[in-house]
Amino acid sequence: MRNEIRDAVVTEVQSRILEACLHQAVVPGGMPLDVLVNDTLYHEKKRLEIYTSAPDRDADLAFWGQVKHRLGTAGEADLRRLLQEIVGRFVQEVLGNFRDSVYRLSTTVLPRTLPVLLNAMSPQRLLSKGMPDLSDTIRIEGDVEGLRRAERLGTVILTPTHVSNLDSVVIGWALYAMGLKPFTFGAGLNLFANPVLSFFMRNLGAYRVDRTKTAPLYKDVLKEYATVTLEMGQSQLFFPGGTRARSGFIEQRLKLGLLSSGVHAYINNLIRGRARPRVFVVPCTTSYEVVLEAETLVEDHLKLVGKSRYIITDDESFQPKQILRFFRSVLAMDGRIVLRVADTLDVFGNRVDEEGESIDSRGRRVDISRYVLDDTGRPAHIPQRDRVYVREAGAAVSRAFREHNVVLATNLVAFALFEFLKARHPTMDLYRLLRTGGDGTGIEMGVFAERVRAVAVAVREQTEAGQVHATDTVLEGNPARLIGSALRHYGSYHRNPVIVRRGDRVFAGDMNLLYYYHNRLTGYGLESAAAGEAREVASR
Amino acid sequence: MTTATETPTPTPNDASGDPRRTASVIGGGSWGTALAHILGTHGYETLLWMRNEDTVLEVNTQRTNRRYLGDAAIDPGVEATTDLRRAALHAELLLIVVPSKAFREVAFELGNYVTGDQILVSATKGLQEDGMKRMSEILREETCCRKIGALSGPNLAKEVLNGHPTSTVVASAFEEVIAKSERMLSGPRFRLYGNFDIVGVELAGALKNIYAIAGGVAAGLGFAANTQSALITRGLAEMGRFGTRFGADPSTFQGLAGVGDMIATCTSTLSRNHTVGRLLAEGGNLDDIVASLGMVAEGVDTTRVVHQFARRERIYMPIAEAVHRMLFEGATPESALTTLMERASRYEDLDSLIHRGATVSESVVDTARAAAVSRRTD
Repeated sequence: MRNEIRDAVVTEVQSRILEACLHQAVVPGGMPLDVLVNDTLYHEKKRLEIYTSAPDRDADLAFWGQVKHRLGTAGEADLRRLLQEIVGRFVQEVLGNFRDSVYRLSTTVLPRTLPVLLNAMSPQRLLSKGMPDLSDTIRIEGDVEGLRRAERLGTVILTPTHVSNLDSVVIGWALYAMGLKPFTFGAGLNLFANPVLSFFMRNLGAYRVDRTKTAPLYKDVLKEYATVTLEMGQSQLFFPGGTRARSGFIEQRLKLGLLSSGVHAYINNLIRGRARPRVFVVPCTTSYEVVLEAETLVEDHLKLVGKSRYIITDDESFQPKQILRFFRSVLAMDGRIVLRVADTLDVFGNRVDEEGESIDSRGRRVDISRYVLDDTGRPAHIPQRDRVYVREAGAAVSRAFREHNVVLATNLVAFALFEFLKARHPTMDLYRLLRTGGDGTGIEMGVFAERVRAVAVAVREQTEAGQVHATDTVLEGNPARLIGSALRHYGSYHRNPVIVRRGDRVFAGDMNLLYYYHNRLTGYGLESAAAGEAREVASR
Repeated sequence: MTTATETPTPTPNDASGDPRRTASVIGGGSWGTALAHILGTHGYETLLWMRNEDTVLEVNTQRTNRRYLGDAAIDPGVEATTDLRRAALHAELLLIVVPSKAFREVAFELGNYVTGDQILVSATKGLQEDGMKRMSEILREETCCRKIGALSGPNLAKEVLNGHPTSTVVASAFEEVIAKSERMLSGPRFRLYGNFDIVGVELAGALKNIYAIAGGVAAGLGFAANTQSALITRGLAEMGRFGTRFGADPSTFQGLAGVGDMIATCTSTLSRNHTVGRLLAEGGNLDDIVASLGMVAEGVDTTRVVHQFARRERIYMPIAEAVHRMLFEGATPESALTTLMERASRYEDLDSLIHRGATVSESVVDTARAAAVSRRTD
């Protein structure tokens, strides 16, 4: 984002929010300005009480103390000024210490420094193989051409699945490798405190999202910020899963925040008669043979509902040593991270054709500007209608996630073993199964290989039907190779073995990890292929 | 293909704020014709699309549609046509009322002409056999339109045409669809209620036809109020179990589209599905009955679709199963009734776990006790 655009964004967001504040104040049931300021003050004070180590806490306390003081005697004009200051402060917080010169430098330098950085982490590899080429490590597949086209024809919201804090780094590099301009994105404040990732966050053009701020006005500022930047043609990255998928499941319940900004930006563009009004949504998936934070994430997932943490700040991604370990593992083997770009959609969830025009499910072109006309035939925001559109777009993204999930050996092998054990112990509930790992007798290697083969066959059939994707190793379906590859991957990173092979039998090692890697394949109806005859054996 | 040159820009409101007063109804059966008539009486220039050219001529010159509605007079504001493109471009709101078997084909053809600002409301009560799709899902798949709704309720076409007061439900995710349908269709004798649960409303409308057949069978066997009432009530329970599996709101089945439509179709001799059941009970053969009807009885197909699905998903639907056995497995009405009545006695509310004698519980002591009880009673 260039400096002049940046200033324009700030001004625009501020004026839109203020205007909305004034408009809603006169609506019956709306919030009068003093109530609105008071409400925001209340949320902020509460936050500052709870989060005693929040960054800039002292400055915030001073600011809000001063707001409280002035609020007591404020007249109409003072209230407006107060609101303007509050909104201005929120906008500046979102924007962070963004410096255009630094940004421009880093967006060209960073992708080149990433390999060097990784290299420094793994001197052994440097010695044996020379400078790493990330394209060996991160494989990009799918409709890359469609993404490039969308970026050329309009503004793009890239919506990836979210399994690891490395996702944004991987995607940042991938965008560079695909020859695209960097995308901006909202990153949780906690990532700016991460010793390793903060470097990328600051330099990849991330804006700051403070999830501890609960004031509705702050959320409005965030949403409007995203909307305005989209309108100005700045493509964005948005994780609709909201946070890293704790369980390893493919996310199906999505947060729709930025998708709704997409619809609003599109309507605003039409209203303002902009030359390139279109906003595209491009889902993509990232799949890792081993996941950096797997152990912490699944442990958190398995804690009883309500006790799990939304923001985790002490997981593996906050430990430089662990990241080092992860990259060593990743660089030591072939084909570990797959980024798959799904088909381009419009903001309503329609697919688009080769010229970027929206098409219906029969391939006929659709004039999408007609979706947002009002009774007078002019484009307009109609909140209830637009919410339904956003929900439908969200459903299209979930479908894309499922279809573009790339099945890896580590997922498939874990799935086969976990489902086999589950079928063999039908009376055990999930927690008991995870605690005990079954009766501990393991499976004979030949039987297990047969199950792995059966799941691979089922995955291949679904791949051919376009319901999922898979790596070549999976499609080839050789059980010995699959099991060998999975065990090597687990072993190269995780300290506890996920699966243990002893003699001619296979045992579950770390049940939680087994469950985690297995979860990515649930919901495809592959369970019976994995269970095989285990169910009958169990019932005998 | 919809391009800017082909499609008219939506006409802006005139000074009085009144939107365009036009409407289109796709499908000239009894319900389609009745709906077109209502729109006509409300002052809408209404195009009624149908395939049969003779009927078009009949509607336009004699103002009747005898095959479906006898002598009832159709409002002069209705013009019949065989030109689907014209009907599609004519109005902002289109009511689609073609039999479920032809629905996808017509929807696909409509998809060539309609644009994303238009509203499509299905008034067909049925399910597509392949994949068990609801009509609104088919509209979504075959057209670019998003503002889609479904109309369902106790609406026997002949009664509506004769001006008997009644109510119906229009369901959609979009407020706008509900509001516009309401504005265009409701009148002194026809009242519309809105509902956001389109899944429930469509399933209720489709499933009730199964119980209408059962009601007809009961009538044909000479049974009266007690029997009908039992069928309706237990039928609703089945509907609720089936519907919630698809995410329908159970309370929808307590409304006009559920219990309301059930009472109308299970008890009225005007209902085609009811007639199918009655003739079956009187010893008729299904193929002959369907042929003699001269119109589609959706319940026959719906029974097949629902039965297949319920069996696969293990949804307990004994009445639907009994109807299936009469229609397709050669069971006599008497034997179907006997099996229904002689099933092991059950509780009214199957879903409440508190009341069920669970055989295994978290408490080992309770589990052991329950096992001892079942050993004694076996």
